[in-house]
Amino acid sequence: MIVLLLLPALLLLLVVFVVPLFRYAWLSFHADSVITGLIAIPNGGANWLRLFQDQRYWQDLGQTLRFAGVSVGLELILALCIALLLDQRWRGRDVVRTLALIPWALPTTVMALGWRWIFNTPYGPVDHFTKIAGIGSLNILGDPNFAWIATVWADVWKTTPFAALILLAGLQTIPADLYEALLLEGGNALICLRRITLPLLRPYILLALLFRIAQSFGVFDLIQVLTGGGPASTTESIALYAYWNALRFLDFGYSSTIIMASFVLISLICVIAWIVLQVLIPSHPKSRGVI
Amino acid sequence: MNRRFLIGLLLVWSLGPLLWQVYTSFCSDQALIQPFVSHDQRWTLIHYQNVLNANPPFWRYLVNSLIVGVSSTFLCLLLALPAAYALNRIPRQLSTLSRLALVGAALFPYVLLFLALLELARALNLGNQLLALSLPYAALSQPLAILLLNNAFNDLPPELEDAAKLEGLSLFQRFRWILIPLISPATASTAILVFLFSWNEYPIALTWISDSSKLTLPVAMARIAGSSIYSVPYGAYAAATVLGSIPLVLLVLIFQKPIVSGLTSGAVKG
Amino acid sequence: MTLQIQNLGRHVGQQWIVRHLNLHVDNGECVALVGPSGCGKSSTLRLIAGLDQASEGEIILNRKNVSHVSAAQRAVGMVFQSYALLPHLSVFANLELGLRVRGVRASDRQQRIQAMLELVQLQDRANVLPAKLSGGQRQRVALARALLRDPDVYLLDEPMSNLDAQLREELRPELRRLVLDRQKPVIHVTHDQHEAMAIADRIAVLHSGRIQQVASPTELYHHPETLFIAKFIGRPQINCLRPKDGVVTAVRPESLFFAKEGLPCKIMSREWLGSSQLLYLDSPEGSLRLSCSTSVDIPELLIVSWHRSDEHYFDAESGRRL
Repeated sequence: MIVLLLLPALLLLLVVFVVPLFRYAWLSFHADSVITGLIAIPNGGANWLRLFQDQRYWQDLGQTLRFAGVSVGLELILALCIALLLDQRWRGRDVVRTLALIPWALPTTVMALGWRWIFNTPYGPVDHFTKIAGIGSLNILGDPNFAWIATVWADVWKTTPFAALILLAGLQTIPADLYEALLLEGGNALICLRRITLPLLRPYILLALLFRIAQSFGVFDLIQVLTGGGPASTTESIALYAYWNALRFLDFGYSSTIIMASFVLISLICVIAWIVLQVLIPSHPKSRGVI
Repeated sequence: MNRRFLIGLLLVWSLGPLLWQVYTSFCSDQALIQPFVSHDQRWTLIHYQNVLNANPPFWRYLVNSLIVGVSSTFLCLLLALPAAYALNRIPRQLSTLSRLALVGAALFPYVLLFLALLELARALNLGNQLLALSLPYAALSQPLAILLLNNAFNDLPPELEDAAKLEGLSLFQRFRWILIPLISPATASTAILVFLFSWNEYPIALTWISDSSKLTLPVAMARIAGSSIYSVPYGAYAAATVLGSIPLVLLVLIFQKPIVSGLTSGAVKG
Repeated sequence: MTLQIQNLGRHVGQQWIVRHLNLHVDNGECVALVGPSGCGKSSTLRLIAGLDQASEGEIILNRKNVSHVSAAQRAVGMVFQSYALLPHLSVFANLELGLRVRGVRASDRQQRIQAMLELVQLQDRANVLPAKLSGGQRQRVALARALLRDPDVYLLDEPMSNLDAQLREELRPELRRLVLDRQKPVIHVTHDQHEAMAIADRIAVLHSGRIQQVASPTELYHHPETLFIAKFIGRPQINCLRPKDGVVTAVRPESLFFAKEGLPCKIMSREWLGSSQLLYLDSPEGSLRLSCSTSVDIPELLIVSWHRSDEHYFDAESGRRL
């Protein structure tokens, strides 16, 4: 009886999450493209070999890693600041919190279009700003050195509210008397942060971190609409590359290989991030209540 | 640091880009190119007219997204509610493992699944059908939904169900009269989060639907971005952005409580 | 319509929660199930109700073996310690739900619920939500719900423990009257032995998942089968002298009196209880409690004694009566 309740959900989950991974793994060892008439023919590790030698893939991987690293790093710091700000009680706080959520709620592609305009040279506001500031016209979206910064900025803008909310939830579980006790002993805000806030927030930071790292590896919407992967594929992400291989070059075998490799990588990075965070932030000694 | 200043900064940062789009959408093409053009040549409604009168009309996309959003939410809840309930009634190790797996699935970047899902769509002939999108959407939001609803079920005192059993209520009756009414806040939160996800989803909608009259909002926006039939497209782009954003802004403002409580409770117990 | 439990037992994993439970409750009889926290009282109740599945044994209700019948079908009325009222429904709706689900017609439902509300004196509270009721009122609603069920057995799981002492005393006779009026077997679980002694026809003492003795209150008081029961039943607690040759001798505080020959004692403290007083004494045999009326004079030289016939003997190891 209980099984019946679980079954539909379970089936759907298996079909959508588990089956694809097996399918990708299988496909990655086959050639399946226009050349093979869209029929899968086993080709051993040929796809994988090609992947290891694919310059564009490694470039994309590097770009994606850079994107993910910078984006997530910035996000978490900003999110912490925002969460700290929202944790206190002041008039209109709830309204501000809601308004700050709007970036997160907007579809990425909708706002990406907006960002294209904002970063547009020579007519966009950023360009005006840099001209006024004396930096001159930067042609952000057209410059291979700067385009990725625009993508990071747009991504941080959209996803920070979510991370902030998670951290805020964590902050609200910290009892106020812990801070009071430390302040009485002569601590200041910085020490409070280091000794109380960060350790107790660790599980939330971890959650936000893992979530964001995993998600940013899949960055697709933003890149496709904001830069199209350019200029000269300098902002292209591995998800976008996989997409093009599948839908533009119709090479499903290779696309599967890219996806499979990404999956392995994401899992690895998440594990590493988890370990690193355990080391970086010590866990709080069990102190329920003040002495 | 002055708190007011920080709050102002936060608001400017959060809303600035969107407000800039609003501003842009009312600027004539000329004003966009030459920022210091005279006042009466500055403001115009032409961009909105263009967008709304395009073929297919803009509101069509909103309707499509609405259809997909509602059906996905409905399907998701239909499957997740029983599953969330049942999760507590299986042996402990199995349920802990399942919960872990669900968290993993919730974190997973679903974009990577686009290829397999596309193959699925082709195999089952699900392409270009709005309602068919509710299947992958419901599936992708299951992990989060099940976890949130499961937490809500866990918070109910177990005696309530015991008493109901003794009153003679069957499982279905318990669901109907007791369990579901009592977790309605969590259900509301889950529903709105799933709806938002479905509305904003891009890669799967992109690959499953190509018929221009059936596009959902995000895909339509991307298409608009890809085309440049306007001389200076950014006015039209901005109008489209604003129109595309209004429903979401409204949703957030109206449903802010369930949204926030859903996200925070997910974080706290996740 | 009686309740019979035969060799009932339940284990979770390797541990037996309750075992070898044998009990028989007649119509109109109230058996109190007492014991310390965690001894298995609530578990027993849940087994009888069908909320948990027994690992062994049989439950025979109304001459039918219901051991494998689901809780919904078992015709059991239970009042929970927390009352378990549905918070989102009014008093009336709470009472109505069960009737509705069992197919009673709307007009009949109205009638029966009205009658019940009058019986428990909550007529003017019909449309109130449980959160707005006092503890005592909630208890009455929970009771009304069980009565409406008209079950074959009533199970009361510490129905009074969330109420303050005064309310408990007031509601006790009313509870007894309402439930026993139905002439069905009643099991009343409580950790308060005083309450058990007051309301029950018989008391079953539970310890570590086993029933140690089932008897009337007086029987339990005067002839406890085990040392545990001797110490559990009766306030102030019975005096246990130091074990000699593997035998523990126990004497009730009210059996002690001042005499010219006996144990020399010193007063450690004294509790004045209104009509009686309780003295905590220190003697060569250990600490003793003496209970007597306040009109008794306490002599200068404290020598305490008791009649041989008031002694109870227990085996030092097993606790069994000798």
